[in-house]
Amino acid sequence: MLFNILLKKIGSAAGLTVMVSIIVGVYSAYDRGLYLAINTIVMGGMLALMAMGLALVFGVMNVAMFAHGEFFMIGSLSAFYIFPPINTYLMENPNTFLMVIAPLIAILGASIVGMIVGVIVEKLVFSPLRKRATDDWVMNSFLLTVGLSVILINGHQLIFGTEAKTIVKYWPGRPFNIYDVYISRDRIYTLILSMVAVLVFWLFIKYSRTGRSIRAVSQDEKGALIVGINLTGIQMLTMSLSCGLAAYAGACLLFLYPSYPTVGIEPLYLAWFVVILAGLGNIMGAVVCAFIVSLLKVVTEAYVGSGWEYIIPSALIMLMLVFKPSGIFGSSVRGIHEQ
Amino acid sequence: MLLEVKNIDAGYGFLQILRGVSLNIEEGEYVCLIGPNGAGKSTTLKTIAGHMNPTSGEILYRGKRIDDYTGNKAAQDGIAYISEEMNLFVNMTVEENLFMGAYTIRDKKQQKDNLEYVYDLFPRLIERRKQLAGTMSGGERKMLAIGRGLMANPTLLLVDEPSFGLAPLLTESVFESLGKLNTSGMTILLVEQNVTKTLSVTDRGYVLENGQIKLDDKSTELSSNPYVKKVFLGV
Repeated sequence: MLFNILLKKIGSAAGLTVMVSIIVGVYSAYDRGLYLAINTIVMGGMLALMAMGLALVFGVMNVAMFAHGEFFMIGSLSAFYIFPPINTYLMENPNTFLMVIAPLIAILGASIVGMIVGVIVEKLVFSPLRKRATDDWVMNSFLLTVGLSVILINGHQLIFGTEAKTIVKYWPGRPFNIYDVYISRDRIYTLILSMVAVLVFWLFIKYSRTGRSIRAVSQDEKGALIVGINLTGIQMLTMSLSCGLAAYAGACLLFLYPSYPTVGIEPLYLAWFVVILAGLGNIMGAVVCAFIVSLLKVVTEAYVGSGWEYIIPSALIMLMLVFKPSGIFGSSVRGIHEQ
Repeated sequence: MLLEVKNIDAGYGFLQILRGVSLNIEEGEYVCLIGPNGAGKSTTLKTIAGHMNPTSGEILYRGKRIDDYTGNKAAQDGIAYISEEMNLFVNMTVEENLFMGAYTIRDKKQQKDNLEYVYDLFPRLIERRKQLAGTMSGGERKMLAIGRGLMANPTLLLVDEPSFGLAPLLTESVFESLGKLNTSGMTILLVEQNVTKTLSVTDRGYVLENGQIKLDDKSTELSSNPYVKKVFLGV
């Protein structure tokens, strides 16, 4: 009985992909060392945060968001300006507790900045467009997000300059030694932070009253209105949450990706790979696929050579779009074609 | 007077559908709205439920103007709208759908009681409670849509074409449930194509033609009215 269910799960496209990825992941970690697995999880967790936001915005508001990378950039930029002052203060007044907490303050502060910018964008850009007309909504909103991306990138360049703004590290101290592999503290803590954020957000969407209404809106807008859900409120919340998540990812990865105007492009494309692979608008699938894409990238880098790490995932996405456009987990929302 | 619709005009963009529609519903009444295709029956319901707003005229619900309401506000005030396309949450189970229907009710116990009530009315839904709404048959989906509407303790039930796309036997059972609801005190405004059946169960009816109310009378009178007989019953 149990075996049958297991077999059925493995037989589906999603189950098969997940199984193959787990095998590849375990083998590569065994073959080339643990850091491969750690990198995969750090990358994957952050990608999951970005991709969940994309999936959410697409599912709830039907917006193909191409300015999501810029919220990653806003997050890393905010963390860059919040963290150093706290750090200098710490240099003068050493305090172990604050030392652990300081990066968290920077990261949470950055996510709040992201959420606020998300609300502003919703109020200023999408809400007026929605009031004017919903004909050709997908195309118009998509073009608006591209415009928004250009404005934010050039805004950064104009105000903060083009140079890479970075910090040495969030958490001081020697790297952790795990089975004779040295892994920096930032990497481990970031891994934990991303896992916590993914889990909390997932539980929020799945079990909370607000999370349920977000899912309801993504499944049927009119149905949501019929049961009494405040649609405008949910749209606003979705936008700010998904922008906040992207900013959180950006802030967490500041030690890996210094903040410069176009830093968001790479995570944006990777997140789109994930969302297409999972099936547009599928939030739960996006989490799993984020780790698959991240594994693909890390493994390609390790075995084929760096420079190839974007070619293989994009080739896969093209194949995906040709042979199974609904993604491996299937789309849980009405797609663009049906609108 | 529970609902008073006074002289409303409504439409989509430049296309005007309703031209000065007026109707009244008392608490506890079972009223139907009949008319040929494209007469504006569904538009009338949508306008009352707040999914469209009238361009002129007033809608009074318990003496309060509600014509600028959005759909969610009307739902919070106790107007349940069962749309023709049902608008269920297809990737949620039957029970999750029903609980979504009780979104405006915060009291957990009240939600449970309402769930019991809906399951009593549609025993079929208990068997399907763990099934995804999108995988059910048309009749079951219709029952679920009505059940979801009832979960919020509505005062006024607006039902759009409950028999649309259903087998005759299922239509019969849906009508039976609506009758039961009415005898227990629910006010119902029903839009329906099946004129003979509708006039035999409702108290009162309005005949809508070209976006205007053509006739309004007791249902028994309407079914013997020569105009209705000629146009709808084909006699």
